[in-house]
Amino acid sequence: MTVAVSLLIGAALMSWFAPTVLARRVVNGGDPLVAVVAWLTSAAAVALTTLGGVVLLLLPNHGFGETLLAALDNCWSSVRHGTPPSVEAVSGVVGALLLLGLSVRLVVGALGSARRRARRRADHLAVLRIAARRDGEMLWLEHDEPLAFSLTGRPGVIVATDGLTKQLTAPQVDAVLAHERAHLTGRHHLIVAIGEAMAGAFPFLPLFKLAPGVLRELVELVADAAAVRECGADAVRSALLKVSRHGAPGTALAMSGTSMDVRVERLLDGPAPASRRRQLFSCGLAGVTAMMLPVLVAVGAMFAVVTVACPA
Amino acid sequence: MHGLGELEAAVMNVLWQGHPLKVREVLDRLETGKKLAYTTVMTVLDNLHRKGWVTRELEGKAYRYEPALSRAEAAARTVRDVLVSSGDPEAVLMHFAQSATERESELLRRALPKKKRSSAS
Repeated sequence: MTVAVSLLIGAALMSWFAPTVLARRVVNGGDPLVAVVAWLTSAAAVALTTLGGVVLLLLPNHGFGETLLAALDNCWSSVRHGTPPSVEAVSGVVGALLLLGLSVRLVVGALGSARRRARRRADHLAVLRIAARRDGEMLWLEHDEPLAFSLTGRPGVIVATDGLTKQLTAPQVDAVLAHERAHLTGRHHLIVAIGEAMAGAFPFLPLFKLAPGVLRELVELVADAAAVRECGADAVRSALLKVSRHGAPGTALAMSGTSMDVRVERLLDGPAPASRRRQLFSCGLAGVTAMMLPVLVAVGAMFAVVTVACPA
Repeated sequence: MHGLGELEAAVMNVLWQGHPLKVREVLDRLETGKKLAYTTVMTVLDNLHRKGWVTRELEGKAYRYEPALSRAEAAARTVRDVLVSSGDPEAVLMHFAQSATERESELLRRALPKKKRSSAS
């Protein structure tokens, strides 16, 4: 039971604190792609750790580590004396049912979302194919506002308006298109969709609840970094400022303090994007760390409990 | 092989180039690289009419077709649709200068150092 509870504590701590830690890192100039990887692997780690905890609760002999824990067992039994033995079984069953319910919810939600996405994409494409001119992989709309966007799918499509080429300089246009290409090659639409599915299934933990919004912002930063690599920070920043002055209807762009500030700030005096090889290494490291962290926290929690409970 | 979508686009291209046309005239002006059947073009125009892309008027025994919107109007409407839907949970579209909603960006904003945060808001 100690191990199981420690694992659950580890998962809970991770899902509460990982978002803040990751957000702070990114705002302070950390690589956004590393944050995306860390966020997604953290979520997987939390899910797996929770699963592990529940399984251990259900196993009659508390699974592995018997030799290591045999010594602690006597001690622990004094802590939980008076607790009816069925408490593990009851909490295990409740946990398993809860987990099963949430998993079903995740799968059903993801399938529904995939279906809606496919339909949405088909609708957009049907209109775009008629209203836009095709030029290679690009679609151009006869419209004066400078705009560009990418449409998910295989193959993905980049759509831009004539206003983009009229109002932006050639390097700025290249920067915008490099940004959009990065969305498509990095499967960013899918990453955001995964975030939405996470939030839909587990809306109560920050790591899951905040996923869609944060991932949306992070992939913008990732795409900006890719564009900077190709076209330089100046081109990306000036393009962003020009395009964002037009654009979305209503209040959206009038707000300050949004992701736009974070993006412009980073393009103004942020660090240069890391090289691909270095980025790959950092992503791997972040993934492994995120995977191990809940277990490490669990081990820490376990020893804390043992130290408090048995001042031997 | 031209998909139906491509044919629709080609037909609209022809119509956007000038005055109202009959099916036969559209067929003559289409440059799809291969001979199309009269009935194919008629079906495509029928579909476009059903979807609201073209209007038609009976002239003698045949319809004369005309775009319901100019190309620029169609583009503007598409742009509007795109901008409205770029924040949808389905996330099929990403707009270059997309701005997050206040709720979405809360975490990153909170993580900003105090000094920058107050200058930003």
